[in-house]
Amino acid sequence: MARSTRSPARLIVALAVAGVLAVFLLYTAVAGNSTPSLTPSGLAGHVGKVQVVGAVVGPIRGDSHSAAGLRFGIRDIGSGAKSPVVQVVYRGDSPPPLFAVTRHVVVSGTIVGGRIAGTGIVTKCPSKYVPTKKY
Amino acid sequence: MADLGRAALAVSLGLAVYALVVGIVAARSNRRRLAVSARNALFACFGSTLVAAAVLASALVRHDFSFVYVAQHTNRTLSARYALTAFWGGQEGSLLLWLLVLTGYGTLAVAVNRRLLRDLVAWVVPVLGGIATFFAFVLVAIASPFDTQTAPVDGLGLTPSLQNPYMAIHPPMLYLGYVGLAIPFSFAAGALLSGKTDERWLVATRRWTLAAWAFLGVGQLLGAHWAYVEVGWGGYYAWDPVENAALMPWLAATAFLHSVMIQERKGMLKVWNMVLVALAFELSVFGTFLTRSGVVNSIHSFAKSPIGSWFLAFVVISTLFSVALILWRLPLLKARTKLESALSREATFLYNNLLLVALCLTVLWGVLFPILTQLVQGETRTIGRPYYDFFLRAFGLPLLLLMGIGPLVAWRKASARSLLKLLAWPIATAVVAGAILVAVGAGSSKPGLIAYTFSAFVLATIVVELVRGTRAAGSLFRLVSRNRRRYGGYVVHAAVVLLAIGIAGSSAYQTTTEQRLVPGQTMTVAGYHLTYRGATHIDTPNAQRVQALIDVRGPWSGRLRTGSVTYTGFAGETDREVGIKTDWLRAEDLYVIADDFRPDGAVYFKVLVRPLINLIWLAGLLFVVGSLVALWPDAREQRRLVTRLAPARA
Repeated sequence: MARSTRSPARLIVALAVAGVLAVFLLYTAVAGNSTPSLTPSGLAGHVGKVQVVGAVVGPIRGDSHSAAGLRFGIRDIGSGAKSPVVQVVYRGDSPPPLFAVTRHVVVSGTIVGGRIAGTGIVTKCPSKYVPTKKY
Repeated sequence: MADLGRAALAVSLGLAVYALVVGIVAARSNRRRLAVSARNALFACFGSTLVAAAVLASALVRHDFSFVYVAQHTNRTLSARYALTAFWGGQEGSLLLWLLVLTGYGTLAVAVNRRLLRDLVAWVVPVLGGIATFFAFVLVAIASPFDTQTAPVDGLGLTPSLQNPYMAIHPPMLYLGYVGLAIPFSFAAGALLSGKTDERWLVATRRWTLAAWAFLGVGQLLGAHWAYVEVGWGGYYAWDPVENAALMPWLAATAFLHSVMIQERKGMLKVWNMVLVALAFELSVFGTFLTRSGVVNSIHSFAKSPIGSWFLAFVVISTLFSVALILWRLPLLKARTKLESALSREATFLYNNLLLVALCLTVLWGVLFPILTQLVQGETRTIGRPYYDFFLRAFGLPLLLLMGIGPLVAWRKASARSLLKLLAWPIATAVVAGAILVAVGAGSSKPGLIAYTFSAFVLATIVVELVRGTRAAGSLFRLVSRNRRRYGGYVVHAAVVLLAIGIAGSSAYQTTTEQRLVPGQTMTVAGYHLTYRGATHIDTPNAQRVQALIDVRGPWSGRLRTGSVTYTGFAGETDREVGIKTDWLRAEDLYVIADDFRPDGAVYFKVLVRPLINLIWLAGLLFVVGSLVALWPDAREQRRLVTRLAPARA
């Protein structure tokens, strides 16, 4: 009887690819919760969990550890004073040390009554390839 | 001086174009003198880029603010050391570093191989010339570091968070890694263009790939350590697109370094290796695109600069070029032998490769997901840490297991019985380690328990291999020196095991507590008692520093200081200064963050106890040692390769 000379490599690769796809499908179907990443001007009409990227607008009031929370506004990065400001009430650990008015932040939370009930703040690192600075 | 820099860059561009165009003509028409001319143009391109780099470095050290770049990234109070790090602290300077490293690497690689691989090198020169043309063009036409202005009295300075010793070493390491991957890519493309697709290009570039891979690995670990000790959020890796940009090419290069051994030994996986080497290079350029385009949301503030579209075009064109080249040369890339068994050394390398590439593509999918959802759904959506952690476990744990099994499996075909016999000690070690871990309570985290058990298994296989080899060779030194690549690889495997133990221990078993304390109050975290004694304020001309003093009792007793520093200028930028006490015996860190100083004297403290985290940094040292062992020139191995590849040359 003639023996097959085909390499099992192709079978292994095919099974591996199928396996990876299966894991992907499983993850995206069962556990893959993605979150909308929005700008303050694009929040209208959204409900539920969101991530909002913007620049902090003062005044910053309150305390993230208290029931009333830390309160501040955010607006689109690089936008003028006319762009809409969305209010944030953040409760949780103290915000990062770089957190301040005009800083770029990513606020995670839920939209409640047109405001963001924040549960997490990430302050963007002032990094290398930032836009040209002004004197 | 700026004129000299501009002229040097213009010359670099002209020479790179010459190396590209004349190199193609020379290689196609097989005109040797023309090929030498193209090669010399590449060498000269390095020389002129070196002149441009010297001009910029000199301007930075002299605080010559008539250079816009110097005024944007330094000021008079910045020391010469940090003024030099500003070379790669901005976009234009970092691109110049890219071109400098590329032409420097290219010159060395071409010079070393010009006689051995004349036909192949004739095509390598125009490929390197093409890559250099792109970077030189960007520097000349779009992002020149030599733009001038009327010099202001002082510059804007370097962002305080970048005034850090890590800034001197972390970015250059990454650049040496990213750019180094251009060398194996150019030789692979040269092999395809010249039709010399035997294993010689692999032998010529093996050390280049290894060096680039090692630089990229060390660069990432340095970045992780920088984030851990300086940024002050308690972690070291956030799956941020910028971090992933370095991880992806490293994973592809790791796969390539393994599969290359199969091609060298068995003449298999030729197409696969071409794909991997192209993937690693394209991902390294893609990473550069990510950090300059602003297309993805990152914790790093990156500009939406016009440079991004140029990089995207370069990635697309070079990817199409690679795919077309591989498809064109498919008939030359047929395997010499076939995989004979699914239980063989070759097969385990293949499984390893598939898992590494799957992990790499998973990370790529995560990075691209927001862009794709924006294109398809019209809304940007992100997938965060749970996605990456899930796939790290799904692919990382089998990879860890394979790292132990692979080196013990016989080439061609292994029997399950003989393999089980070889694995008896490692399996026994893993079972005992698992039982002990459950007994001491480590079963609270299943992924942690699995990672530790697999780690014990892999370490045991390495020990078994070393003991067996040492018995045969007579001494450990002789064993390692006779086969540096193999045993250097084992040391790197041991480093990966330490890394896995460190990651599992510090994430699965860490304790975190946040508490508000007034002076005199105490909090207790994982056996440590921390008493807040009060705050001190230190004002200097450049900064205001506030520090909380904490007395610690427990596994370690002493005083820790933690607080923050606010810089004058830089819009009042504030950085955390964390208090870290390392217990080297347990590789554990007590990590204290003073989060919020209140006017009433109270402070919110966040305290993390991270067991085994220091194994991650030890793994970095071991990784360097293993890479150096594998990189060290080995005349004996070279002779073996020459003998093995002799039929291919004929």
